[in-house]
Amino acid sequence: MPNEFPMKDPKDVWQNQPTEAFKMSADQLRRKVKQRQSKTRFEALYSIVIGLTLGILFAWTLATAHELVLRLGFGILSLWCLYFAYQAYRRIRTSRLAPDATLSTTLESYRSELEKQRDFARHVWRRTGLPFCFLGLALVIVPELIKALGAPRLALNILPVGVLLAIWFAIFIPQRKRRQQKLRQEIDELCAFESETH
Amino acid sequence: MQDVRRLEPIPAGNLNQDSLYEQAADSYSAALDRLARAYESDPEARRDLLQEIHLQLWRSFAQFDCRCSLRTWVYRVAHNVATGHTVRQRRIREKLVSIESIESIPGGDQGELAASQAEALHRLSLLIQGLQPLDRQIIISYLEGMDAASTSEITGLSPANVAMKVHRIKHVLRRWFHEGGPHAK
Repeated sequence: MPNEFPMKDPKDVWQNQPTEAFKMSADQLRRKVKQRQSKTRFEALYSIVIGLTLGILFAWTLATAHELVLRLGFGILSLWCLYFAYQAYRRIRTSRLAPDATLSTTLESYRSELEKQRDFARHVWRRTGLPFCFLGLALVIVPELIKALGAPRLALNILPVGVLLAIWFAIFIPQRKRRQQKLRQEIDELCAFESETH
Repeated sequence: MQDVRRLEPIPAGNLNQDSLYEQAADSYSAALDRLARAYESDPEARRDLLQEIHLQLWRSFAQFDCRCSLRTWVYRVAHNVATGHTVRQRRIREKLVSIESIESIPGGDQGELAASQAEALHRLSLLIQGLQPLDRQIIISYLEGMDAASTSEITGLSPANVAMKVHRIKHVLRRWFHEGGPHAK
């Protein structure tokens, strides 16, 4: 087999690779921008509809429930659905690449992308309103659990939900910690680079 | 036919946007394709990335102020879009390494020589796609034949930093493609 590579410059290898000619016409570009705006609108609408539907469903259950604790639980869940829909809508609106992001240096752009992710991870409980979701769920489930103490069959019905919730917590919390650590490390490395540069 | 200009009117000051994009696409189409290959190995996702780069490039020309060369502008926008793409792929990003860590692996050379242009390119692409975004950007700029000053203008790193990185890149490339290549001198 001929050993021709040692005679080649990696630059030549890179620059002479086969490429596809790609260019978009002004019409295509404008159409693409419009398609994207429509898609963003649709996604926003979709999350609002889901949030509203669930919110109304929980509100309906609230209206038909008789116990105060249950009503409180469904009320909180109903409000959480509305809040979650609003947050999802906000996130969709801001997740697109900002026009300014294309004008900064890579160092700035890369750091700001990582910081965005770090901030989201740091405030995930507040942004998703999950404590309210868990509070609502607890208010709905705990009375049933108390009742179940006298009826083991009911406890068996609730057990799968409890197990799933415990598994979710066991996976979510360590994973979140690892991710945050990794992000912090990456941001620190970039900041060190920036301070060396300026 | 639909009048597409009605979809997104261009402000009076930005009438140049289309012609600037045209000029950039004509001059750097192949370089942008290579750049997209360096950031995305999946052909379909690469096509989407390339389209996104072109779209953002066109949008960016509404603000082009001639304070830097067209080439610097094009690469800066393209790298930023591609970096954003990599950052969003969390599972992939967590496996990326720096050029320093590749350099410090003892006996990290590939041993056998790449026998053909295709194999050499495959090996080079593997190396590039495993790098963290900033290092990837520097190696691409080096392979595209840019000097330290231009790379510095795009990345925001100091020319000294870029030169140091390029030195390491050359060392890694020598090991990656076996000692004895043209850069080993």
